[in-house]
Amino acid sequence: MTTLEVRDLTKTFRGFRAVDDVSFTLSPGRTVALVGASGSGKSTIARMIARLVKPTSGEIVLTGPDGTAVPRRRYRDHVQMIFQDPFASLNPFHTVEHHLARPLRLHGKSPAEVPHLLERVTLPPEIARRRPHELSGGQRQRVAIARALAPGAKVIIADEPVSMLDVSIRLGVLKLLARLQREEGLAVLYITHDLATARHFSDEVLVLHQGRIVERGPGDDVLLRPADPYTRLLAAAAPNPETRFRQGGPS
Amino acid sequence: MTRSPKLVTGLALAGVIVLFGLLGPLLTGDPATIRDSGLTPPGGEHLLGTTLTGQDVLAQLAHATRGSLWLGLLVGVLATVLSGVFGIVGAYAGGAVDEVFSLFSNVVLVIPGLPLVIVVAGFVPADQRGTSTIALVLAITGWAAAARVLRAQTLSLRNRDYVAAARVSGEKTWRVIGVEILPNLLPVIASQFVFAVVLAILSEAGLSFLGLGAADSSTLGTMLYYAQNGFALQREAWWWFVPPGLVIAVFGGALSLINFSIDEIVNPALRDRVRRDGDVVASDPAPPEPDAVLTVRNLNVVYRGDTPVHAVKDVSLTLRRGEILGLAGESGCGKTTLAYAVNRLHRPPAEVTSGSVMFGDVDVLALEAEELRRFRWVKLSMVFQGAMNSLNPVTTVRAQLKDVLTTHRPEMSSAQREERCAEVLRLVGVDPARLGAYPHELSGGMRQRVMIAMALLLEPRVMIMDEPTTALDVLVQREILDEIKRLRDELGFAVLFITHDLPLLLELSDRIAVMRDGEVVEHATAEDLYLRPHHPYTRELLASFPSLTGEAGALTR
Repeated sequence: MTTLEVRDLTKTFRGFRAVDDVSFTLSPGRTVALVGASGSGKSTIARMIARLVKPTSGEIVLTGPDGTAVPRRRYRDHVQMIFQDPFASLNPFHTVEHHLARPLRLHGKSPAEVPHLLERVTLPPEIARRRPHELSGGQRQRVAIARALAPGAKVIIADEPVSMLDVSIRLGVLKLLARLQREEGLAVLYITHDLATARHFSDEVLVLHQGRIVERGPGDDVLLRPADPYTRLLAAAAPNPETRFRQGGPS
Repeated sequence: MTRSPKLVTGLALAGVIVLFGLLGPLLTGDPATIRDSGLTPPGGEHLLGTTLTGQDVLAQLAHATRGSLWLGLLVGVLATVLSGVFGIVGAYAGGAVDEVFSLFSNVVLVIPGLPLVIVVAGFVPADQRGTSTIALVLAITGWAAAARVLRAQTLSLRNRDYVAAARVSGEKTWRVIGVEILPNLLPVIASQFVFAVVLAILSEAGLSFLGLGAADSSTLGTMLYYAQNGFALQREAWWWFVPPGLVIAVFGGALSLINFSIDEIVNPALRDRVRRDGDVVASDPAPPEPDAVLTVRNLNVVYRGDTPVHAVKDVSLTLRRGEILGLAGESGCGKTTLAYAVNRLHRPPAEVTSGSVMFGDVDVLALEAEELRRFRWVKLSMVFQGAMNSLNPVTTVRAQLKDVLTTHRPEMSSAQREERCAEVLRLVGVDPARLGAYPHELSGGMRQRVMIAMALLLEPRVMIMDEPTTALDVLVQREILDEIKRLRDELGFAVLFITHDLPLLLELSDRIAVMRDGEVVEHATAEDLYLRPHHPYTRELLASFPSLTGEAGALTR
């Protein structure tokens, strides 16, 4: 089983510490939620794990199923990313087929697996012939998830995977991710600013503030009984009709 | 895609000339044959007459057209390749490579093209001055502008997520450029190519006319050169110089038309605009409820087109004094179209086909242009999604706020205006000292507050807010929502708050209308909607977000 460990990760941009000494472990069958406001460094962490941005210091160690460290050039067989905006993360020029067949080929698999990949994300096989603009937001994000699964990745970095989608389809995409995580033993990093889904779709919540993890633990502990003042602020800021109508709060 | 007349005309004209260049030389005989006849006008054996030395003008024209087209093509390809290498590769590589490449492009760009071409062509001995030399000279002096355009486009494309996704999936750099970026640049490259071809044909004609053209081939330019040397103008032998000039002009025009159409295909905003037919004015608006500030009755908005889209269907809403009315709906449900129509900001092809919008007892849809101008912003203001990005980046906050007052309150003195601007900024929780700030010096949340301040400036009775906090952070969103509630309590205006974020509306609004496919499917107080939803779609929406503090239950499984 593939495990990814982040140790003392730090990224500075011109002296500004965007990510400051962050450590956590992604293990199979578990989802870690990384929550924070914009500018807290969430996406920078995602991009460092996806090897799009070089860390200033610290380590990202990937341990393969055989218990040894995965060599650099095999890294992308194991770690893949889902981007925030499915309207931007699919190339408008190419078909769905291209988006899935390329990563399959690059990682030594047969493009014949495309229909199977689509099935895993509950999309009909005929969607392979379509181009991104012919798909709805939810369908696009499913294609993006299939693309991340194509190399056979076991560690998935999901950077705000539903924040650009309509509310009514968000849950469907999150449930799909949760099912894949359970059934295929994926290690998932779920990055979000939505505390409610972070609480319900994760085993551990990390609260990020100005590049530092200020609080961590099981979702119920962190979000229902926050100890850190910043977490409390975040929890209070999220719109929550529950407090207005069910618990007699001020309207 | 509808064929634009420009594209059809351009393609037809260019096609005729290309065909003539390709097939003409095969049909017209030898252009070099000298006859004793001398200069003869068109007619009989020589359809376009003969030159001073009795050569057939039509045959010369055919060969010259072929020569010019070949040269244009050569230059087009060379210049496009050069601009691609320097523009696309440089921009994708970034860093020092980009610096050097773009410095080089800029240096080439400031070298005046045609004079350089003349100097270089003049230095190459006439007997070595073949078509390829001329083409090379023209390409080298002509690629730089296109390289800059391609660089700018590539810089924006390389930051797209699909490029990052291709890198994450392990694609090699050249494949990312060739397969992910290049296809998206094709329209730009095509238009730059066409431009390079036109420029090359024109420049070559100029060069040849000056006697600096290719020695080994005949082009339209060399034809003009010989016509000039043969005193065609003085001898009134128009058939000698008019045809080559006409071919150059028509071909240049045709390619320009094609180029415009490429722009139009890429940029839909340039396509022909739909005529504005008058909106239907309410025939008999019923008197509104006494407490209502804004009454929308049976409003229908249709986007005219080949397949008309009925975006707003029979919507009725009442906004009462001091009330926050939430309008909930997902993307494409017509909520923004509705907001625009209420303020008469909808543009063709959108059209109000029936219904009424009453502001107090004013029929908004019946207002004349000048009345409408006085009505908007004074009585009813709007804050758009991403409005913080609609502040003018080159003027200060003060100038932009004062501008509104200058337009709508010309009687105010400058000092009064300054005081009012400071006052509204204080209202939205921004330090009036920031009046002198430029928009880029403010954070996104601050800019959105400034937009709200601008909407408050004239003390409107109604504010329409379309996703005003969607682009903002949760913490900033919270501050702005609290601000809106406080201002509503203090100033008593009514708010129509439009968003897809139902939890937010449930917390903020007094009443909520749920919209789907252009229709309002449920309209109730926030509490009723939350605790006793009637419509299945409302229930579906309510079930689609987990509560922060509630039980997860079956939600996540």
